[in-house]
Amino acid sequence: MQFYCCGRPSQTSYLSRASGHFSFVPLWVLSNSQRFVGGAMMTNVWEAVVLLLLPFLAPNAEGTQYSPPGKPALTRCRSPEKETFTCWWEPGSDGGLSTTYALYYRKENSETVYECPDYHTAGENSCFFNKNDTSIWVNYNITVVATNALGSSFSDPVDIDVVYIVKPNPPEELNVTIMEDKGWPYLRVSWKPPQKADTRSGWITLIYELRVKLEGEDDWEMHLAGQQKMFNIFSLRSGGSYHVQVRCKPDHGFWSEWSSADYIKVPDYFHREKSMWILITVFSTFIFLIFMCFLHMNSNSLKYYILPPIPGPKIKGFDKQLLKNGKSDEIFCALVVPDFPPTTSSKCENLMVEYLEVYVSEEQELILEESKELHNSLKCEGSTSDNDSGRGSCDSHTLLMDKCGEAKGDERQTDGEGHPMEMEAQMHQRDWKEGTLSSAYQDIVSPDMSSGRVKTWPSVFSPLHQCGSTSLNQMNSLAMAKQHCLSDNLSPPGSASSFLPQSGRSTTETHRPNYCEFYSSDKQLSSPKPQAQTHRKLQAHSDINISHKQAGLQSPALRPTEYVEVQRVNKEDMVLLQPVESGCVCGDGCPQVCQDYSKVKGLNSDNMLLLHRDVMEGEEVRSHCEKQETNGCITSHITPATQKPTDCIPTVTPIVQKEMGLAVSGYVDTAAMLTLPTH
Amino acid sequence: MMTAVKQSGVWAVLLWPYLLAVSIPLDCRDEQGNMSRCPFISQEKLLDRIIQHAELISRISEESCSLFEELFVPFPLRLQRNTVGYACITKALPIPSSKSEIQQISDKWLLQSVLMLVQSWIEPLVYLQTTLDRYDNAPDVLLNKTKWVSEKLVSLEQGVVVLIRKMLDEGTLTTTYNEQDLLQYDVLPDMLESVMRDYTLLSCFKKDAHKMEIFLKLLKCRQTDKFNCA
Repeated sequence: MQFYCCGRPSQTSYLSRASGHFSFVPLWVLSNSQRFVGGAMMTNVWEAVVLLLLPFLAPNAEGTQYSPPGKPALTRCRSPEKETFTCWWEPGSDGGLSTTYALYYRKENSETVYECPDYHTAGENSCFFNKNDTSIWVNYNITVVATNALGSSFSDPVDIDVVYIVKPNPPEELNVTIMEDKGWPYLRVSWKPPQKADTRSGWITLIYELRVKLEGEDDWEMHLAGQQKMFNIFSLRSGGSYHVQVRCKPDHGFWSEWSSADYIKVPDYFHREKSMWILITVFSTFIFLIFMCFLHMNSNSLKYYILPPIPGPKIKGFDKQLLKNGKSDEIFCALVVPDFPPTTSSKCENLMVEYLEVYVSEEQELILEESKELHNSLKCEGSTSDNDSGRGSCDSHTLLMDKCGEAKGDERQTDGEGHPMEMEAQMHQRDWKEGTLSSAYQDIVSPDMSSGRVKTWPSVFSPLHQCGSTSLNQMNSLAMAKQHCLSDNLSPPGSASSFLPQSGRSTTETHRPNYCEFYSSDKQLSSPKPQAQTHRKLQAHSDINISHKQAGLQSPALRPTEYVEVQRVNKEDMVLLQPVESGCVCGDGCPQVCQDYSKVKGLNSDNMLLLHRDVMEGEEVRSHCEKQETNGCITSHITPATQKPTDCIPTVTPIVQKEMGLAVSGYVDTAAMLTLPTH
Repeated sequence: MMTAVKQSGVWAVLLWPYLLAVSIPLDCRDEQGNMSRCPFISQEKLLDRIIQHAELISRISEESCSLFEELFVPFPLRLQRNTVGYACITKALPIPSSKSEIQQISDKWLLQSVLMLVQSWIEPLVYLQTTLDRYDNAPDVLLNKTKWVSEKLVSLEQGVVVLIRKMLDEGTLTTTYNEQDLLQYDVLPDMLESVMRDYTLLSCFKKDAHKMEIFLKLLKCRQTDKFNCA
């Protein structure tokens, strides 16, 4: 077998023989070299001896170790057009000596070893096979040998078939143009196959792929174009600048490199988009204008909804103008009520609560008892008491032991005329533990009372004259308040029997839906009966009184509900009621229109009017000492009248003595009435 | 796979005229109305269809080979870039193996080479089907592909025969019956050996199918543009 390749003898044959690496030499190399170098055997032996002795002759003389070359490795073989191919290898270490490399190959079905025909065309460490040397569909077995003075080393053989190592050149003449399709532009990309690849004859079949990206971005958009040499790209960004690249691949083979990029700038075509935006803008402006009109028209109600007005001071005798004038003395003088505190009992009686709303029912008794316990756990209900109900007082903050804020009371004040008064009555009644006297209630009912209630807390409701004192019998007052509250929820008069806390809460027939929420605790339902009985007794008593007074009632025609003035609190802790006229009942000291209502602010020892809830039962007593701030018309007469409520009797006088600085807000909140301790 | 099957169906539908032609005795003359059942097909169309047929066969054979390789061939034994360890059965055929060689041979020889290749692969593919059936877990996909390929190869052979007759005006060529060693193979006791043999078979066929495709395309080029083709 010839060791020649292309007529050129291989010069490495004897070297390989001379080296000590006989074992690494493939058999065919050995056999060939043997045949070839027969004549030069002697020289080879001597050279071999010299080479072998060389390391020993000059051992580390210069400090460098010479060694046979490292093992090279064939890295890749590629064919650009399936007609020629090139193989590259990676040299190993050269061992410090000059090393030469040689590539040998063998075709399948043949034992002939050939050497690489061309080491230079493809560059360093490469071997180029031209057309004549390239066979397609034929396996090549290729080996690279590295040789230096000390020896040679062979790389691992590599089998290739040219058909499967085709990596074409990138496509050429990439051309991108802008075309228009009904006003929308698109890109038309066209290219030509690489020059060397013979696609025309069908020798190579190429498929193409292109990628597009916007200038400045990092993401490419890939498109597979198949065998066609033209492609359309739609959905362009107006005014954008695009980069386009294309590459190709044969049916068996590798992808080529990306071609050089072509740049194109898309013209602005915003006309359609702009019209859409104009439409959207106009439409939203229109809607915005409508919205502003709506807001403007409803600004007032919205304002009240969002920011409820803060009630101004309604202190009797308080003149804003005087205040503005800046003469404080006049202001305070004007506020002084000469008759405050009233000392005569008659006055007291007169100054007692003008009217009370009393709703009595047996169930309410129980409920009222419960409500007492609920007081402590009362929550500030989102009271939606309307202006017309006197029940607002029932759930005013003072009644709720300051659980509600001041604003609530303020809100009540500003609700309107009737509201605070009724609310006060409500509060008082709520505080009354028992006192659901349905029968009495019915007696009390004045004909023109719409809801059939007896308002037994009149003065409380009057915001101005403050004559409404909460100096009622605490027990009864609370009970009555409760009654009031409870019965308030009964729309038809006399239907108190059907009152239940839940129903009371739920009835929305009345325009006071939320008054008696804190009655609703079911646990309170189980109030002991004896209490009810006693309360009933008391209630009856008070009812009788009420009825007495009722006879002499001057029915306040002005109000839908009739108010009864509380005359006094007698020794049995009962509130004596007296019908009251509309208008100022306080008498002398109340120049103002009885439009104010009073609201008990808070608790103040020894200065408080404590309305004692019926504490006969004892265990359920919760002292709700309610402070009643009055502006002079307070029932100071209560204090001497009833000594029983010792601590809680309101010493209104101190308040008056304080000039009240009119620290009071000008109204008495009967809600925050304290109960007198049991006696 | 589905598209390939569909395409093959389409080709079958398209090629049924000439299939009819080959099924009927080949002395059907299209000029004379002797046997009016013979549909006429132009040479160009026939060549186009044959080329598309060959393309399909080449693609499916490649898919089958890679599928077989994935399923049954251990990783170290896989051929790198499809070099076959065993010799292909068609190595003895005088097939041109470089572009320069191909440029030098005539159309007739091109067609003859194609025909030789096709005919030499019909039997082994049938044999391959039987061996694949013996595999325990050969998926239906593989079996269907090989079955399809062997069927289409028969069609291709018939088409090439007709084309030769048309182009070269020669009589029917006798099919060269190659004595295949493969036919006498028994089931080798070693499973690995059997697998490697089948793998070699598939790889060789893949290569030869590609050869057929190239030859036919070159032939077409020569028909249209004699001077610039390979």
